[in-house]
This record gives sequence, C-alpha cells and structure tokens, in this order.
Amino acid sequence: MNLEVSRSSTLWCRVGLARQKVFDRRRQTLFLIVFCVLCLGVILAGSAQAAVANQTNLSQRNQAPSWAHPFGTDWLGRDMLLRTWSGLSLSLRVGFLAALFSSLIGLVIGLTAATLGGAVDAFFSWWIDVFLSLPHMVVLILLAFVSGGGLNGVVISVALTHWPSLARVIRAEVYQVRSADYVQLSAKLGRSPSWIARHHILPHLWPQFLVGLILLFPHAILHEAGITFIGIGLSPHQPAIGIILAESMRHLSTGYWWLAVLPGMALLVMVKLFDILGENVRALLDPRTAQE
Amino acid sequence: MRKSPLKALVVLPIILFSLSACQSPSPSAPPPAETHAPSQTPSPTAQMPSAGYPQETPSRTLTLAIGGESSEGYDPTLGWGRYGSPLFQSTLLRRNADLKIVNDLAINYTVSEDRLVWTVDIRSDVKFSDGRPLTARDVAFTYNQAAKSAGLTDLSMLDQAIAVDEDTVELRLKQPTSTFVNRLITLGIVPEHAYGEGYGRNPIGSGPYQLVQWDEGQQLIVEPNPHYYGEKPQFDRVVFLFTSEDAGFAAAKAGQVHVVSVPQALGKQTLEGMRVLPVPSIDNRGIMFPFVPDMGEKTEKGYPIGNNVTADLAIRRAINYAIDRQALVEGVLEGFGAPAYGPADYVPWWEPESAIRDNDPRTAQRILREGGWQDTDGDGVLEKGDLEARFTLVYPASDSTRQSLALAVADMVRPIGIQIELRGASWDEIETLMHSNAVLFGWGSHDQTEMYNLYHSSMRGKGWYNTGFYANEQVDNYLDLAMGAPTEEEALVYWRAAQWDKKGVGFTTKGDAAWAWLVNLQHVYFVSDCLDVGKQQIQPHGHGWPITFNITEWRWICQ
Repeated sequence: MNLEVSRSSTLWCRVGLARQKVFDRRRQTLFLIVFCVLCLGVILAGSAQAAVANQTNLSQRNQAPSWAHPFGTDWLGRDMLLRTWSGLSLSLRVGFLAALFSSLIGLVIGLTAATLGGAVDAFFSWWIDVFLSLPHMVVLILLAFVSGGGLNGVVISVALTHWPSLARVIRAEVYQVRSADYVQLSAKLGRSPSWIARHHILPHLWPQFLVGLILLFPHAILHEAGITFIGIGLSPHQPAIGIILAESMRHLSTGYWWLAVLPGMALLVMVKLFDILGENVRALLDPRTAQE
Repeated sequence: MRKSPLKALVVLPIILFSLSACQSPSPSAPPPAETHAPSQTPSPTAQMPSAGYPQETPSRTLTLAIGGESSEGYDPTLGWGRYGSPLFQSTLLRRNADLKIVNDLAINYTVSEDRLVWTVDIRSDVKFSDGRPLTARDVAFTYNQAAKSAGLTDLSMLDQAIAVDEDTVELRLKQPTSTFVNRLITLGIVPEHAYGEGYGRNPIGSGPYQLVQWDEGQQLIVEPNPHYYGEKPQFDRVVFLFTSEDAGFAAAKAGQVHVVSVPQALGKQTLEGMRVLPVPSIDNRGIMFPFVPDMGEKTEKGYPIGNNVTADLAIRRAINYAIDRQALVEGVLEGFGAPAYGPADYVPWWEPESAIRDNDPRTAQRILREGGWQDTDGDGVLEKGDLEARFTLVYPASDSTRQSLALAVADMVRPIGIQIELRGASWDEIETLMHSNAVLFGWGSHDQTEMYNLYHSSMRGKGWYNTGFYANEQVDNYLDLAMGAPTEEEALVYWRAAQWDKKGVGFTTKGDAAWAWLVNLQHVYFVSDCLDVGKQQIQPHGHGWPITFNITEWRWICQ
C-alpha cells in the first residue's frame, strides 16, 4: 500500500508539472482552503450524526439511492449517506490522531538517531529496518490486539506502525544539515548536541515534518478502514467506513450495489484528496519546485 | 485482506470442479440393475447426458453448503450431535419428522419403578463402519465415557452404564430424571475398540455415512457406511462445504451446490433451479438480563455479577411490553420467523398463556411509572433516585442477525425512556461480561433440560446457562418437579407452570420477566429443484446439520 500510494503520488506530481499553468500556487492555495473547510465540515457534522446514523427504520429497508436517501438505505433501513458521513468522520479523526502521533514519533526518533549518532543511531536504524521489513497489516493486527482493541487500539496501532519511513527521511535530513559549516562551527564553539538540535536543525525539519504528516494521513485512514474491515477494534454497529464496507460484502451477491460502491467511492475521494494535498504542500515547500 | 472474499469466490468453483472431475465414473457406485429401478436417476453432477445416449455409471454426489463444521471434531462424547442427527454415529432412539420418539438402535426400553434404572435392549445386527459388531458394551462405554469427559453433552445425572449381556444395557442414574430420554436420542454410540485420542477427527460409527476426508475450514466428504442397518442412502458421496454465508450463496447462484443455508435476510432472493425452503425451528433469540443488583460480587473466575438497572422488575417487564416482535420478524428476519415469548415456544411443553400483547409502549410506560421511574431532568432517559435507565446490551460481533436484532430493540425501547448502549464482542469477551450486562443469546432444544439449566437457581453462573443469576424458589420447585416426574408427559404440566402458573409465578414476562425473548427463527435453505429432502422436523438450535436428520430419505427426482 505504501508503494502504491507513493507511486501514484509521483504520477500526480508529474501530472501537476505538466499542468503547471493551471495549477499555479494561488490556485493550489485556494484549493487547500476549500478542502480544509470541507474536511472540517465533515468532521464536525459527521460526529454529530453518529446517533442518528444508527437509527433503524424497518419499513424502509434496502432502498436504492433516491432523493430522500442519496446513498440508499441498508438492510435495517439506516440511511447510508448518514452512515458514510459518520464513518468518514470517524476515519478522519482516527487518521488525524494516528498520523500526528506517528509523525511525532518519527521526528523524535529521526532527530535523536542522527544527532547522537554512534550506537544510538545504529540502534534506531535497526529498529526502523525491523519495522519496515515486517508486513504492515500483521503488525497492525497484533498491536491492535495488544492495546486492547476499541478506538484506542486502532489509533495506537496505526500510530506505532507508520513512523519508520518519516524517521528515516528526517534522519537523512539531519545528517545533511549537521555537515553544514555553521553547525560545525556551532559545535566547535562548544554548544551541546541538544542545543544544536533545537536551534539549528529542528527549524530545517518543519517542512519535511509537515509533508510527512499530511502524506501519512491517507495511509492512516486506509489502514483504519483495513483493520475495522477485518473486524478488529470497533463494535460492528459503529459506523466506521471499514465496517460499512465489510458489512456490504455480505450483500453484494444480492445486488444491493449502493451499500459498497458509494461509501467506497467516498473513502477513495477523501484519501485521494489528502494525497494531492500532501504533494502540493511538498511542491510548495521544496525550493526546487516552489517557483513553478 | 480485502481480497479474501473475492479469492474465496474464485477458488470455490475450482475446488468444486476438481471434485466433480474426480468423481465421474465412480467404481464404488452400484450398477443400475441393483437398485430399485423406478427411482434410478442420473447424477446431479452429470448434467450433460441426454435421452437416447447410453449413460455412464451414475455417480450421485450431493454438495451441501449448510455450515455446521464442528471444529473440535465429531466425537459424540464431547458434544458432537448434542442437538441430534450425528450422521456418522447412530443413537439409541431418535425423533421423527413429527418429533415423536422412535427406536433407532434400541428395540425397546424400560424404566424401573424408582426411575433410576433404564434398561435398553438393542439390535443385534448392527455393525460399525469398520465391520465390527456393535454390542451393549459399546453403548455402556459411550455413556460412561461421555459422563467422564463432562463435555457439552450433559450426563451428570448418570451414575453408571453397565452391559448386562450382548444386547442389553443398563443405565443407572443418580436421581430420577424425566428428560433422560433425550440423552438416548442425541448421544451417538462410539466403538470401544476404535475409540481413543483423535477419534473426533476420524470417527467410526454405525450411522448412515462414514467420513472419508475432512479439510478443516474447507470441506468434509462422506460416503455411505456399507454396514448401515437402516435404509440405504441414495447418494454415493456427500460433500459439505464450509463457506462464509455470502460465498455459499454465490456458489448456489452459480449452480454449484444442491442445498445451501442462508441468513434469513437473503430468504427473499430467487435462485434459478432452486426453491427456498424455510424450516420452522425452536432456535430462538432473546435478551438475558442480569437478575441481581451489583453488590460488588464476582464469580470464581473474577467476573463481576449483577446490574442495578436490569435487576429492576419494572425495567425488564417494560422492555418486554415495548418490543414489537412482529416488526423484528418482518424487518430483521424478512418474515422467516415468529415472535417468541419464552425459551421453548410452539413445542408441547410451551405455556401459551405466557405470551403477552407486545408493541404496547403505553403499558410499558405505566409499568415504569408504577415502578418509580421518571424523567426528572428531561433528557429523555428515565431516572429512579440516582439510577439512570441505561445499560449495555452485548451481542456476538460475528453474528449479523443478532446485531440487527440488538440495534432494532435499542431503537424500540428508546421512546419509553430506556437507553440501551450496544457492544459487539467476541464470545471470549462475552464470557467476562455476561453476568453484569444484558446479552443477546440464542438457545432452542428438543430437550427440556435446557429450560431447567437456564432458570434453575442451582445453575446460577454455571457455564453459559443461568448467567443472569436468576433465582425464584417457586420456579425452582416447578422445575424440580418436572425433572423428577415419572415420564415426559407427566412432566409437561410442571414445565408449563415454571413459565407461568397463572397464579403469579413464572420466569416469563407476566412473572419475573427474567429474559426478553424476541424471535424464533426459521432456518432458511435453498434446495435444488431436483432434490427431495423429505419432511423436515422443527429444527433445534443450529449447531451441526439438523437438515440431515432424514438424509437417508433424500431423493433425486429429476431424470
């Protein structure tokens, strides 16, 4: 999944370059603002819908999409638009928390490893390699179990599995900054490694950190959907997007296509939007592409 | 992980195809001349041969996707077939399609005057599938073994089983038990000479079929037991597929299986070449309420006991009245079921007067008002002193029907001011929660012992039975009288009284309302138009393969 997203990101980047006239920075910024408002709207409104989204209406079961129910209704007459909305809001919250924690872990480990160097660096690098070599989903499942399931389990497991690639990027960045003349000089002047880390290196890392955070977001959402899909963490009546998709699988053979297709599309659009957002921010912050 | 259901759909036809490919001219199939000519039919799988062409020896393979895999194996002494029809083994007695008790291995049985000794004469012409004869020693061994292993087949009342001679066995009880006849109906006889560790994986018995191959989690293949003493089954091979509900349905849609069991929600679908067969059952679903308040007590395993809200009679009774059971049947079960008011509706030991007029929020509200519940803070949830009318209902997360029932019930009682929070959990978790939270359970047996176990105070906290710690001396008394009655018939009046004695005592709604029973399911199957599965009995709770109880009578009716 990592590879796929990054590959598609590069693709989008290329498309972005080809259409640089259309997507200039101002338009990108405008796009970002609209997007952020949209997300906030989904998050705030969706969490308020959670109770209503579970309301059954046994007289309106299995209805195809209509004006009254744009996403149709399920086998208990629950409105699928409300459920999808509520599910996305849950996914966004989980995704945001998990991505935030994960990138903080990445930042701290990357910074510590590169600043202290030596045995500490070797130790953390080894950990990064270990985490990168383990299959993502397996570690997620194990961690979700160990941390006791529930919403916390999902957040913790996603947070604890997504930091290594960011940590590695940050570590490399720190090494680069560390060899700069002014940092060498600062060290010669007797500043401690932690002082140098805070005053010289950290300010250089913010762009990396921000981009890393945003790009982690779609991963976190997809993985949240993934582990709720296989039934770990949340109760099956809670409207998480993975649970909605898993339940709809049972009804695919009956021809109720709207149960899977529409929530699936909504998830796809949301993830893709965040992916584009991350790429755009990266392009804006990268001095080599900022002027394009 | 997302790909797995798809993968199952892709792999399934391949397995089926390779299976049917292996079977075509089967050397074990008897030549057509040997069988009774009129019912001689071509293979269900060999659909190609048309009239006028010489047909190859038919291989009559039946493919069933009816679930029921027993992951712990097929050992009756550990609980296999505890709801009847063990397939590989045969039982002393059995119930026919009308639930009447008829002889199987037994020729007759007598019960001593003190009702402590059951003497059973068995047939002397019976052989196990390995060719060795079945004797009274095997019967005695089976009963003693089952009592010793204390599995899911409850034989705690058995003192000892003794083979008196080659074909007579004495079953001696510790106390008179009117329901003991049900053990004779459900316990399959295992051979003493071939019993040991691993028997469950490789069962040898005297039933109509013997096990050929079992690929755990995938399929189980059986072939007729050549030594079976009863009517010879018409099918040379039966394949049980263990698929998820949707994969089974998809396989049926593709014409790959002859019988498939589906969740009730799919019962309104149509499948080409198949007919829907709803079979009534006493498989029921209901909400168990913790009966005692939370006094900080714990079970031996350390699980908390009691719930202050559900310990209130008004709450339990009001919920019973507020629920619209018919709407649950129509809405959740697609009409494949019936409202349930007790643990054993529509069977001879049911007390019909225990039923109430439900979907009656007014009565529910009156009961709550009289019980001292009021909405003092206007938040829509009632209070009584410091207590809020709010509790958690736990359901097994893997069961979509129970989840739907739980959601619908929570919505039905919200308007009367009771807030039910839902929690989906695994069975392991439920075990820790079931004494202090309401749980959506399912039961249903042809054996009245189940009612005793669910409501007798001696069963408080024992296994999965009386998990709510229900206790009522008078109900205990009725249950004891029923258990100690000389015969099943004489026990009926006491079983009924325990439900509702019309004088103010009973565990159903009019009495203690210990549970809120919701629905009796119909088991829904799609059966090939070419297959006649005979008359089905009212099925018990769905472990095992209840539809196969008469598998020897199944007929292929297409030419």
